[in-house]
Amino acid sequence: MKHLAVAFGLSLSVLTSPAWALGAGDDDSERLARWKEIQTSIFGERKLEATEAMVKIDAPNRAMDASLVPITLTMPEKDKITGLHLVIDDNPSPYAAKFTFGPAADPGEIKLRVRVNNYTNIHAIAETKDGKLLETVKFVKASGGCSAPMGMTDEEAMKGMGEMRMKFAGDAAPGKPMEATLMIRHPNFSGMQMNQVTRDYTPARYITKVEVSRGSSNVFTLDGDISISSNPVIGFSFVPEGKEPIRVVAIDNQNGRWEHSFTAPAVSN
Amino acid sequence: MGFLSGRAARAIVAIAGSLLLMAAGPADSPVNVPEPDGLWTGPARGYTPATLQGATVLDLDSLDALIAKEKPVLLDVSLEDHRPKGFPENRPWLPTHRSLPGSVWMPGAGAAPLDPAAEAVLLARIAALTAGDRTRAVVAFCRPECWGSWNLGKRLVQQGYTNVFWFPEGIEGWQDRHPTVATKPDPDWEARPKPVRGEGAQR
Repeated sequence: MKHLAVAFGLSLSVLTSPAWALGAGDDDSERLARWKEIQTSIFGERKLEATEAMVKIDAPNRAMDASLVPITLTMPEKDKITGLHLVIDDNPSPYAAKFTFGPAADPGEIKLRVRVNNYTNIHAIAETKDGKLLETVKFVKASGGCSAPMGMTDEEAMKGMGEMRMKFAGDAAPGKPMEATLMIRHPNFSGMQMNQVTRDYTPARYITKVEVSRGSSNVFTLDGDISISSNPVIGFSFVPEGKEPIRVVAIDNQNGRWEHSFTAPAVSN
Repeated sequence: MGFLSGRAARAIVAIAGSLLLMAAGPADSPVNVPEPDGLWTGPARGYTPATLQGATVLDLDSLDALIAKEKPVLLDVSLEDHRPKGFPENRPWLPTHRSLPGSVWMPGAGAAPLDPAAEAVLLARIAALTAGDRTRAVVAFCRPECWGSWNLGKRLVQQGYTNVFWFPEGIEGWQDRHPTVATKPDPDWEARPKPVRGEGAQR
């Protein structure tokens, strides 16, 4: 592999990346070159360090449904984390999601469901308070997720668009992060899905931003993309202190805006 | 899936289950799809027949054997990724297509009807790739549940090619066992005259 490293001008940190061990059988140098291209388009000249210490990806090796691939991102040293980027390398729009965590967040774990267009490396990049970017990678076998039709008419898929639900796990206790699951009804049309009857592409309609906050305190802001599955489901945690409801504002690329508030279990004194 | 409600989880399992059935490959199609008389002009995506009269249907084992034996011409007619209209200029849009090594990718060449100019380019290109030898082995493929490769196989049979193969499992089937390579569309096919049309059709 030495000659490849020379060819692509790689730093040592990249060579130690698990990418080399994954996607075995496929052309690793091609995949790495692509990752470099994507990385530069998102992070410019900023340096990325490969490590599993700051962020881990849990995803099925082979997804049952490429348009609904569950991803869990775990950040063991959560107190150091300010942001999280998710990149699905071989998707045509690879930059799937960016999470920015606020003071009310407990950024130990994020769950979401994504579309995967082809057998691909998935990269997660954690951003730390001291300005570091720490990347990890996992190879996932799934294909066709971005263009898979939803199996219903566009009108049916848009029914109830913007409705939300939030589920809280367990009781609130001081110092114990509260887990929550946000469900948003929205087709998140990728713009790559063909209507089987008209043979036209259903126009892209996808959630570009989700802001979750409590009182004046931000939990997280998600910048979304067409790679997020229809009817987004986002698992997150927040610090249990506070009495205000959890407020969610979602915005899509067609100027849709929806706002809902949810009463969280309160810490009993 | 523990974070979903029971109802949502059941719905997802049901959906995933039905998609799994669809992904099982044309030979296992839950419906018996008859061969159309000529080219298929319906939706490009859907269950395909188990057969193609005048051609041989390949599974992965028989494709491997064919490649080892006589280096067939490999023709990929998978559709290109469609850039969503109005997709923000400032976000990376980097479509990539991974296909069988050595294959020639002519996106959308399995469409029917194909306008006459495009059809002429397609047939000339295949004639060049087979060096005018209509007994040369040619394999048509795209993805599972894709009529494009069935149509290309049909076209070749209609054109008098006598050693036509159809590999319905396509790229998905191939990459189960073998590496794929990033592949660019065939330049001659890309240079074909394109009729002016609205967004969508034939892409």
